[in-house]
Amino acid sequence: MTRKRRIYDGILNALTYLSSGIAVIILVMVLQFVFVRGWSGVNFDLLSKPYWSGNNTIEFPQFKTGAFDRPDHLGDDIAFSEKLGIGLSDGLDAYKEHQVVVEYLDPESPLHHGVVSTAGVDLGKELGLSEGSNIVNLMLKDTDDKIVNVGAQRKSTAEETVAAMDNISEMRKIYFKTEGGGINGSLKATLYLIGLSLVIALPIGIAAAIYLNEYAKANRVTNAMRSSIELLSGVPSIIFGLMGVSVLFPITQLMGIHTVSIILGALTMAVVLLPLIIRQTEESLKVVPIDLRYASLSLGATQTQTIFKVILPSALPGILTATLLSISRIIGESAALIYTMGTFIADRPRLDQGATTLAVQIWSLMSGEQPNFELSSTISIIILLIVLALNVSVKLISYRINKKWSVS
Amino acid sequence: MDSKHHLISEAYQRRKKGWDKFFKGLFWLAGFISAIFIILIIVFIVRKGIGPFLPSYPGGAYPIGKFLTGFQWRQDSAIYGVAFIVINTIISALGALLISFPISVLTALFITKIAPRSLSRIMTTIVELLAAIPSVVYGVFAAGVIVRWVDSLAAMAGFSTYGGNSLLAVSILLAIMVFPTMTSLAIVAINAVPRELVEGSLALGATTTQTNFRVVLTSAKSGIFAGLILGLGRAFGEATAVSMVAGNSMIGPTFNPFNITRTLTSTMLAGLKETQGLDYDIRFSVGIILMAVILVTNLGIHFVKDRIGRSMS
Amino acid sequence: MKTFEIKDLNLWYGDFHALKDIDMDIRNNKVSAFIGPSGCGKSTFLRVLNRMNDLIDGTKITGQVLFNGQEIYAPESDVVTLRTKVGMVFQKPNPFPMSVYDNVAYGLRVQGIKNKAVLNDTVEDSLKKAALWEEVKDRLSDNALQLSGGQQQRLCIARAIALSPEVILMDEPTSALDPIATGKIEELMESLKKDYTIAIVTLSMQQAARISDYTAFFLLGDLIEMGPTREVFHKPNDKRTEDYITGRFG
Repeated sequence: MTRKRRIYDGILNALTYLSSGIAVIILVMVLQFVFVRGWSGVNFDLLSKPYWSGNNTIEFPQFKTGAFDRPDHLGDDIAFSEKLGIGLSDGLDAYKEHQVVVEYLDPESPLHHGVVSTAGVDLGKELGLSEGSNIVNLMLKDTDDKIVNVGAQRKSTAEETVAAMDNISEMRKIYFKTEGGGINGSLKATLYLIGLSLVIALPIGIAAAIYLNEYAKANRVTNAMRSSIELLSGVPSIIFGLMGVSVLFPITQLMGIHTVSIILGALTMAVVLLPLIIRQTEESLKVVPIDLRYASLSLGATQTQTIFKVILPSALPGILTATLLSISRIIGESAALIYTMGTFIADRPRLDQGATTLAVQIWSLMSGEQPNFELSSTISIIILLIVLALNVSVKLISYRINKKWSVS
Repeated sequence: MDSKHHLISEAYQRRKKGWDKFFKGLFWLAGFISAIFIILIIVFIVRKGIGPFLPSYPGGAYPIGKFLTGFQWRQDSAIYGVAFIVINTIISALGALLISFPISVLTALFITKIAPRSLSRIMTTIVELLAAIPSVVYGVFAAGVIVRWVDSLAAMAGFSTYGGNSLLAVSILLAIMVFPTMTSLAIVAINAVPRELVEGSLALGATTTQTNFRVVLTSAKSGIFAGLILGLGRAFGEATAVSMVAGNSMIGPTFNPFNITRTLTSTMLAGLKETQGLDYDIRFSVGIILMAVILVTNLGIHFVKDRIGRSMS
Repeated sequence: MKTFEIKDLNLWYGDFHALKDIDMDIRNNKVSAFIGPSGCGKSTFLRVLNRMNDLIDGTKITGQVLFNGQEIYAPESDVVTLRTKVGMVFQKPNPFPMSVYDNVAYGLRVQGIKNKAVLNDTVEDSLKKAALWEEVKDRLSDNALQLSGGQQQRLCIARAIALSPEVILMDEPTSALDPIATGKIEELMESLKKDYTIAIVTLSMQQAARISDYTAFFLLGDLIEMGPTREVFHKPNDKRTEDYITGRFG
């Protein structure tokens, strides 16, 4: 080997190392970005909180102050009112506006017993102040019978608000915002969508795979069917979105739904998933030994009996793989759902109405005037963790399938 | 011998044969439904997409010539010209492949032939992880990181950008997104190269590296090519992530990499509010164009490949 | 008594003429062995008898196959019922990936028999007849794939017996087994033939000579000759049979 050759080879090899290095760096950067921007937002409250913060004004028909002790666990930055049993802190919302946040509320606090005072269906309904809320404005009469307004709107600090509270003679009104910025609605919508899509797609996909693998003769019609399904898997997801609103929308209209809806999204996703489910199921049907079919048929079983009693149970791990991959696909999907489920983040999703999945909530957050990177990154982390867990499970299952059939 | 045959009821036998027929029909139906959708998609989208150009369209037909040859897309004044968007789409996808293709092939070669076993496994997992990341997450990454790269690069070159939203940002994003697809197909293709070829080359005194680059890659080229086509299709069809960094220019085409651009998919997602009217329906027309672009480029690449293949043999 | 009467049977796989003008009788409660070099059509012929060839695309059959005097390829003939009367044991042991019990009970269950007592009795009885009961009676709920190869094959025989068929077809049932397991299966066949008619395809001429009452020699899709085993082996009518038996080709 000449010296020149060696240098030349070295450079070429270095190039392959470099390329692989770039791939690693990209992965690290993507993960680093979403974790740095979003990790602080990951907590269990997020899963149960609504996205939209609610505006409430409440009054207190029977108001009595009490005498409360400051709990030991409250930090120094929290101001505590001994008369009302409430702990407040200064906070900032997503738009960097000042907030007076309710950090702690004594179980006996009188502030639990308010009624809604704004006109509307909820007028007169019982509603108390809740932890996590932002006190926008609080109107009270102080011991000098003077009306005092404090709260975020007046730019009062938590200290000032508590000072006013401890000087209270009569409570008038509290205008507060419940905590928003959560993903509860999208999480529910995602689960609904997963459930419904799988209920539609799995039976059709598995049945189609059974037809192709167990019944279809090797002829031109079968080939055409296979190519059509193959083509379907290459269709971009945004085209599936158009398909949903043109091909499938009439079906949901028959159910009396005249807007985008979770049902429409699920029907669309079912079509998206069909090629994947068919391919995975067929793979798992193929590895079931042909001898088992012969054995069953030779015992006077019909083909249907053979399929349900012998073949499908053996193919179950493959079908499970298909299910997990489908869930992964649904969670990651966005373009098709923007068309079929809309982009409005619904806190109480309903099957016959539009809603966002976690992924589409990211899209909604990012395509507004002010992209919300923090919440988007937090949701991204959640999505990534789920998708990762699903992929690892798929690997474990396929490892076990290989082991099973190579032993017997 | 005590026969069990008297226990077998005729009715059960008949019923079970009935079920057998029923299920066979059901399985066939499922296969038929799965196969028919591709046709339904084409028929329905084409039907809805040509609607705006027909005289019967409510509010009057939009001139199809203006649509196909127009170099402006303005939702606000109802001007819809798709020609520059097609050019933009092709440029951004080609840009992505230009970045991604060599890296994919070299990474695939690294994984299959060069890396030690343990490293090769880790790299395979990394490629799989990259493939598993959903496109919105890439979108968030692009809108937060890639645009800043582009912005500083532009500053160095003496250009200003719209916050980094640009043709270059789209191409880099797409390059990352098509990388796993192309790499895994290249890995399959390289693994399929017969060992005899490699051994033959080594026996003639070629170095391992020479063999890898000359023999292995050229023998795997049709599989690598398939990956290229798949990657191109993905680059054309990617929507959400691209929309986050395209910037949606109203005129074009965009040739300056630091300028904002508009792709077919970003057009289909931009300003989606109403679910009827020309502004909505014309998105189906764009959908037709998108499918046509994917189809034509695929056929074109196959044609070129055949020509090259024939001239070489 | 003739269980099967076959007349002018021809079979094609697509363009390939796999069986040519076969005439044969298979007698009840006897063991009939089919021998011949591989690819001669003996296995194909065996599969004619329970219509397993139906499963292969492009198979065409002409001629007559009478089972107890009934044409089994007649349009009104029912293949599912036929297979409950003509059981089959395959080359490689192929138990279902379920428990030993479920394997044996399978045939009855797919005929709609659910009575627990009947199932229990049949499973025990069939396993006894297949000389497997003593080995597995304590592990009926174990997965059948955990049994040894020889045990698996006897389980497959028990599974076939459970339906109390009249005929058991065996397609090289010992080719995947070791000599000891093979010996057990051969013993078993000897005891089974008082209850069942057995047709066996085998590659081993010693096996055919040991266990069968009648032997049929196939070559390139033709039935060269069939007769009592002793005669076929000691004074064959056809030169080709003699050549094959004495090992001139194979």
